[in-house]
Amino acid sequence: MSPARRRVTATLVYSALAVALVLTLFPFWWMIDTSLKQPVDIFSGVAFWPQHLTFHNYYRLFHEYNFGAYLTNSIVVVTASVLVSLVLGTLAAYALARFRMRLGIDRVALYGVLLVRMLPGILLVVPLYIVLAKWGLLNTRLGLILIYAGLNTSFVIWMMQSFLEEIPKDIEEAAMVDGDSRLSALWRVVIPLAAPGLIATAIFAVIATYNDFIIALTLTSTPSAETVPVGVSTLIGKIQIEWGPMAAAGVVGAVPIILFALIVQRHFVRGLTLGAVK
Amino acid sequence: MTAVADPVQSSRAWRLRLAATPYVLLLPALLALAAVSLYPIFYGVRASFHKYRYGLDMGSAGKQNYTDIYHDPVFWQAMKTTAKFVVIAVPVETLLGLLLALLVARELRFASWIRVALILPMTIAPVVVGVIWRLIYASDIGIVNPLFSHLGLGTPDVLAHYHGAFFGLVVLDTWEWTPLLFLIILAGLHSIPQDPLEAAQVDGATRLQTFFHHTLPLLMPVLLVAVTLRTIDAVGTFDQIFVLTGGGPGTSTQLISIYSYNTAFQFTQYGQAMAMLVTLLAFLLLLMIAAVQFIRRNSRAAA
Repeated sequence: MSPARRRVTATLVYSALAVALVLTLFPFWWMIDTSLKQPVDIFSGVAFWPQHLTFHNYYRLFHEYNFGAYLTNSIVVVTASVLVSLVLGTLAAYALARFRMRLGIDRVALYGVLLVRMLPGILLVVPLYIVLAKWGLLNTRLGLILIYAGLNTSFVIWMMQSFLEEIPKDIEEAAMVDGDSRLSALWRVVIPLAAPGLIATAIFAVIATYNDFIIALTLTSTPSAETVPVGVSTLIGKIQIEWGPMAAAGVVGAVPIILFALIVQRHFVRGLTLGAVK
Repeated sequence: MTAVADPVQSSRAWRLRLAATPYVLLLPALLALAAVSLYPIFYGVRASFHKYRYGLDMGSAGKQNYTDIYHDPVFWQAMKTTAKFVVIAVPVETLLGLLLALLVARELRFASWIRVALILPMTIAPVVVGVIWRLIYASDIGIVNPLFSHLGLGTPDVLAHYHGAFFGLVVLDTWEWTPLLFLIILAGLHSIPQDPLEAAQVDGATRLQTFFHHTLPLLMPVLLVAVTLRTIDAVGTFDQIFVLTGGGPGTSTQLISIYSYNTAFQFTQYGQAMAMLVTLLAFLLLLMIAAVQFIRRNSRAAA
């Protein structure tokens, strides 16, 4: 390609990307912008920068709209359920990565796990609601923890299975010859090697759980158990919407996840395609 | 018995324990998983054959729930809206994702930053995506109305009109999920060997020819996985609609997820809601099995 043509191509490519970036990022900015405006300014026409910068919307979020409680619930539920699912899922993933079982149980389990991962939440919530109501677990963090722990397990198994398969068998067999039991070899030798994969899996599970809406929406009903996304949705009143706090709520809902996402961006493809693409 | 264990016996016990190990490791996870997926589905299928009044199980209803939804025009409307939504949104996202990936799959300055910025929409909670677009479409404080009237196109009041709201939802979904297709296709492009491509170009093939004859066929397996996974997900779209329109105006954005949710939790007709969802699952299952097949084929090809 001649230098002149190359310059034209580069200009076109960068302009197209600039358009894509503006379309992608502007909606975020509009929400942040709105969240930092005073009510009067929100209604006074388009302004791409707050006319009178204020954090009052955030203040109100925590003092009038229970966001302290929502955040606490989210942190408790996400932490507990992800930890449980990491332990259960990693053990299972190790079994699937290292052993061939009778009747092809390992393959059936692996692809069954994948099917579960694809089920839309709406299919599960009606029966889960009825069952949790029977056990008196509706509107409790424990109920949410149990359900998310179970659902996340499918994701952890699938991800960790592919990470563990990449770790050579010889390493742990050497440890076992040296007198380690299988579990201690797993703990002392394999897990440290799989740490990057484990961390990526954990962060993915955190994102998915923190972001989940429909399960938390149906299974909780008061700020004693409601999570952040449910809290965000409560700001959409039936009669009128308080735009400032709603925008602020969106920002609070998005920020932790954006930070997490930046950490694992290298593993994104693998997590999102269920390991189909690495 | 002596205090010292018989070496033959203990080695057999050891081997037995070793053989049991994988099952012991697998079982707790599978039980947890079954408790929150298989059991609810089983229970849900059963509920679809039961009659509920005020949320209470009134016993078997035979096929009544299925007959009811079969004769319910709103159910079919919701199924149609769901299909229309998926059939429009997914191809648009795939095409845009492909274009973006082709743009980014070259030597670029700030490539990794560009990539991170482009995928942000799909990382945040779908509820927040709903909030963002509500703030954009809102007729009083939004940006779409001022933009259109500035261009002399009137005020569309996106969320107030039947077709406007549906189109608004498609735009939202495209914004949120084009990044997924982009990212997967980009990874696919990076895994394609470059030598044949260069050889073809040396032989005088145009860029378009190399794309259609070389790149696209090699990209197909990845594309298939991406599109099926996205389709399955799109069918279950709920959170964004709940925040954006609640299904309205009228039934314009009432996908089957929203309608069945309302049937269950506003009208406590669990039986009918589950009959709808079981019907949906029957369709979805085909897609899900296809997705598993595509993923299996890819992981075998990669091995």
